[in-house]
Amino acid sequence: MSANFHETSSFREYFSGLLNGITTTVKGMWITFRYVWAVKPVSIEYPEVREVLPERARMRLFNDVQNCISCTQCAMACPVDCIYIASEKLPEGSEIKKTSNGQAIRLKLTQFTIDTALCCYCGLCTTVCPTECLTHSHDYEFSQYTIDAMKYDYLAPDVRAWRDRIVKA
Amino acid sequence: MQSRWDIGEPEKPTINIETEQLKSELLTLNMGPQHPATHGVLRIEIWTDSEIVAHAIPHLGYLHRCMEKHSENLDFRGVIPFVDRLDYLASMNMEWTYVAAVEKMLGTEVPRRGELIRIMTAELQRIASHLMAFGTYALDLGAFSPFLYAFEEREKILRLFEEVSGARLLYNYFWIGGVWNDWTDDQLQRVSAFCDNMEEEAKKYHELVSMNKIFVQRTANVGVFSKEDCFTYGASGPVLRGSGVKWDLRKVAPYSLYSEFDFDVPVGTGEVGVVGDCWNRYYVRMREVTQSIKIIRQVLEKLEPGQVMGKVPKVIKLPKGEVYLRHECPRGELAFHLVSEGDAKQPFRLKVKSPCFTHISMLPHVAPGQMIADFVATVGSIDIVLGEVDR
Repeated sequence: MSANFHETSSFREYFSGLLNGITTTVKGMWITFRYVWAVKPVSIEYPEVREVLPERARMRLFNDVQNCISCTQCAMACPVDCIYIASEKLPEGSEIKKTSNGQAIRLKLTQFTIDTALCCYCGLCTTVCPTECLTHSHDYEFSQYTIDAMKYDYLAPDVRAWRDRIVKA
Repeated sequence: MQSRWDIGEPEKPTINIETEQLKSELLTLNMGPQHPATHGVLRIEIWTDSEIVAHAIPHLGYLHRCMEKHSENLDFRGVIPFVDRLDYLASMNMEWTYVAAVEKMLGTEVPRRGELIRIMTAELQRIASHLMAFGTYALDLGAFSPFLYAFEEREKILRLFEEVSGARLLYNYFWIGGVWNDWTDDQLQRVSAFCDNMEEEAKKYHELVSMNKIFVQRTANVGVFSKEDCFTYGASGPVLRGSGVKWDLRKVAPYSLYSEFDFDVPVGTGEVGVVGDCWNRYYVRMREVTQSIKIIRQVLEKLEPGQVMGKVPKVIKLPKGEVYLRHECPRGELAFHLVSEGDAKQPFRLKVKSPCFTHISMLPHVAPGQMIADFVATVGSIDIVLGEVDR
C-alpha cells in the first residue's frame, strides 16, 4: 500500500511481485492448514475442563480466624486498604489461647473483613502475616450480584462454612 | 386561512457543477477510544482529506489512574503492585526498574543468583511482550491467525510466571533486595525447552508474516521515522533501533550483570523497505526475541545455587536524596525519578518517564500525507501500551 507502488513497477517487477505474492501466501496458508490435523488443540474448554492451578497461585484471600492475633500488619501492608480489622481487650482472667505456631492471642478479634472487590491480589498481606493464617486460596469462582456481597467477614458463620471448599489442600 | 405548514413554493437550490466552487473542508474522524486498532483506550482525532490524513491529534488520559500521586501515600513495597500496572504486558521490567531505583538509594546488594534470575525473568518477559506486539500488529493489518500462534507461546511463559510468582499478569515478583521466590530446576528445564521451541516457532512466524507479500506491501516504506526525528522526539527502544541507531542501554550503559553477557543489538537494516519504516521496526522486535533467547541460555549456564533475596530492613526508609534510573524495557527506555525527603517511609515524588509517551508524540509528525490504512499500520508499529502513557 505504499504510495509509489503503481508508479515504479516495470513488466518484470510486476510479474515477479505477483509470483512472490502467490508463493508467500501459499506458504502461510500451508502453515495454517497444517494445524487442521498435525497440531493438537491447546485451548482449555473452561467450564468442563479446569486447569490445575500452581501451588503459589494467588486467588481469593482466606483468613483462618482461630490463628489470627489481630496484629494488623496485613492491613498496614495492603496498598489499597481493603482489610478492615477491629479487636478488643480480652476480659480479665480469661484463658490466653495459642495459635498453631505457638504465639499467644492477647486480643479478641471482633471484625476481620476483606473487600474482595477492592483487593488487587498482590500478596503483600500474606507475606507479613506472622502466624501465616492469612493465605491466598485457590478459589477463583466467586462472582456476586452486588458489590457489597464481595465483602467477606471471616468471623461470620457462613464464611466458616465454605472454609473447607477454599483452604489449600 | 393559511395552514401553518404552508410555506409557499420551495426555493430552488442552485447547484454549482464546477468543482472549484464546491465547498471542501477536512473531515474530522475519531479513531478510538474503543477502536480495535488503537491498543487500549487511545483516541486519535484525525482530520482527513478523502483517504489522506491531514492531521492526527492523540488525546490521552482515558486510562489515567493517578499512579504517580498515589504512590506518594504508599510505602516503598506497596508501590510495586502499582508499578506492575504501568505497562501490563511487561510488568517484570517495570518492577525491576522501580526496585533497582529503590535499591540504589538504599544501597542494597542483590545476591548473584537473584540478579541472574532477574535477568532471565526480564528477558522472558521481553519475549512475551514482543510476541504480543507481533500478534496484535498482524491483527491490526487484518491477519488473525498469527495472533493465536503468538499467544500459544506467550501462554507458556505466563504459565511459568504463574508458577513462580503466583499471578499471570501483575506479578509483584521483584522485591526490594531480590526476587520473591526461587525457580526450581524443573522450571529452569522448561525454560530451556521453551527456548529451543521458540527458535523453531520464530522461523514459522517469519514465514507466516514477516516475508509475506501482503504484509510487506502494507508496512514497507510506511510511517518512516528518520534518525533526526527520533533524536528530536527522544525515541528509544525498537523505534530508535528500527531507524538504524545502535542504542541499547543493556549494551551502552550496562546495568545489573548485562556486561557479562554476549548478545547483539539488532538495528533496522532496510533489507525490505527503507530504514525507519514500519517493517524495520517490526523486524527489529522479532530479532530481539532471538537475542533474548541467547541471553536466557547464558543465564541458565551461569546459574548456581544460592540466595535470591538480599538483606533488607523490615521497614524501608530511604535517606534524603534523589535518583534517576533507566532500564531498557521492551518498548524503550523506562526511567524512574525517585525523590526522598529523608527518613521517610513513602517516596516524596515518583516520576515515570515512559517510552510510549514519547513515541505517541511522534504520531502527529508522521501522520500528514498518509492514508488512513497506513496510519493504522504506523500506530501499530510503535507498539504502545496506554497504561504506561497515562499512568
